[in-house]
Amino acid sequence: MRLLCATLVLTGCVDHMVGPARTQDDFDRKARTTASAARSTVETVRLVAETASDGNAFGPYSGVSVSEQEDTLTEIQGDFNSIQPPNGTSDDMRAELNEILTASLHHVAAVRIAIRRGELRAAADVAQPLAADSDALTAFLDEHA
Amino acid sequence: MKRVLGVALGVLTAIGGFVDMGDLVANAETGARFDMNLAWVVVVGGIGIVLYAEMSGRVAALCGRPVFDLVRERLGPRFGLANLIASFFINFLTLTAEIAGVALALSLVSSVNYLLLIPIVAFLVWLVCWRMPFQMMERVFGLLGLCLLVFAVTLWKIGPDWNQLLSEASHPHVPGSESVFTYAYYGIALFGAAMTPYEVFFFSSGAVEDGWTKKDLGENRANVLIGFPLGVVLSLAIMASAHLVLAPRHISVEQLSQVALPVASAVGRVGLAVVIIGIFAATFGAALETALSAGYVAAQYFGWPWGKRRSPRNSARFHIVVVLTLLGAALFGITGVDPVKVTEYSIVLSAAALPLTYFPILVIANDPNYMGPDHTNGRVVNALATVYLVILLLVAVATIPLIIITKGGS
Repeated sequence: MRLLCATLVLTGCVDHMVGPARTQDDFDRKARTTASAARSTVETVRLVAETASDGNAFGPYSGVSVSEQEDTLTEIQGDFNSIQPPNGTSDDMRAELNEILTASLHHVAAVRIAIRRGELRAAADVAQPLAADSDALTAFLDEHA
Repeated sequence: MKRVLGVALGVLTAIGGFVDMGDLVANAETGARFDMNLAWVVVVGGIGIVLYAEMSGRVAALCGRPVFDLVRERLGPRFGLANLIASFFINFLTLTAEIAGVALALSLVSSVNYLLLIPIVAFLVWLVCWRMPFQMMERVFGLLGLCLLVFAVTLWKIGPDWNQLLSEASHPHVPGSESVFTYAYYGIALFGAAMTPYEVFFFSSGAVEDGWTKKDLGENRANVLIGFPLGVVLSLAIMASAHLVLAPRHISVEQLSQVALPVASAVGRVGLAVVIIGIFAATFGAALETALSAGYVAAQYFGWPWGKRRSPRNSARFHIVVVLTLLGAALFGITGVDPVKVTEYSIVLSAAALPLTYFPILVIANDPNYMGPDHTNGRVVNALATVYLVILLLVAVATIPLIIITKGGS
């Protein structure tokens, strides 16, 4: 049983604590992975919101899809925050990315609330700020490429 | 006429039943992440499953016994036991993934958390296994699985540049943002999804359940030579839809709901409803197949009476294995383990165990004592099957190191 648990944790099948970043390069790499995963969730929510606004998706599907992305984004931010930054440069990087992630999470929650209230037609408007979040994440990725 | 209809129905069932949770996730994930650069693996895997499924169907029709039954007899109890342990473990993971897939599909239309739906789904799977006649079970879910053809409609609605799409698929390369290791890892995932061992166990056991004889060899060929290649086309449509809709937005597929997103976006609400029915049917059908396969492999290895054609009273141990495996998979599923990750690992680990499944089929299909002098493999089939066996061995050796190197493809 222990072996099974260890295997699942090691291979990423279940949630687990993220290890420390020992060097700036290591931290950079983990920050880029975080930004890339966050951009995927933000873009998914944007696409769901646009699809729902166009009348192409029904409420339960849209609601569940956005909730899943919100949970994923929360996990992504939690995992990133649990990484120990090795130095001052990484402190700045951590703050910069965290700011974008917090804003994204706030905007995703707004989309989820609108969809759960049945305001499907307005979902794309509510999701507008996510475009800026996505751009910010892309800029972050370019800056730290 | 009745026979032609029967064959046509069998072919349609084979197309609809070709795709399961592993194919849905692997094709969408690779389409979004690697564009069409891994499409060739789907084709290679498709040819492999056609080759070996035809062999296993032929073995079952001529011997009246399924593949696993013959493995122990022909290759001895030790090899059979190793095969049983590996197959049963992978089948268990696959069953967990399929049950979670059904629950996820239902949650997309009900908004109920999928974890709450897993026990209900497991009960329904057991009920269908217990009550529904074999052929009806096969046909209902296979035909409903045809709803996934909406992915082909999605492609047509998007209206891509077909020449460019074909060119991308036929000139594969490792994308700049990916390493050769992640490319190989996802290639193995696609290969494992196409050649999942339970497909062969179920196919050959199903042939025996359906009472196939020498007369049914034509239907066997039609199913695998027409039905499976069309299933491959369906898999490619899933990949291409993800490539065209999700990849430009840098969306990586982490949830089953994202697999349906290109359809909703291009076809609309009706398309979304149809694809969710298709996902439900494909995963439910595969859950039935894997649950029964657990009973098949155990009963066939130990020599117990097995099959749905027998009354439960006369095949009690077979049914107990099915129930216990379902219960175990449901319990594992509700621990909160990520269904998409379980799917990924089930198909990647399948790849590692593929030689154990396919080598004995090749041996038996060449043995005139089982097949008779006229129905052993021909030279071309043997040459192709041997090439595939070498590929399977290479894949099996590379799988575990690739899981470690890529940290599970991340």
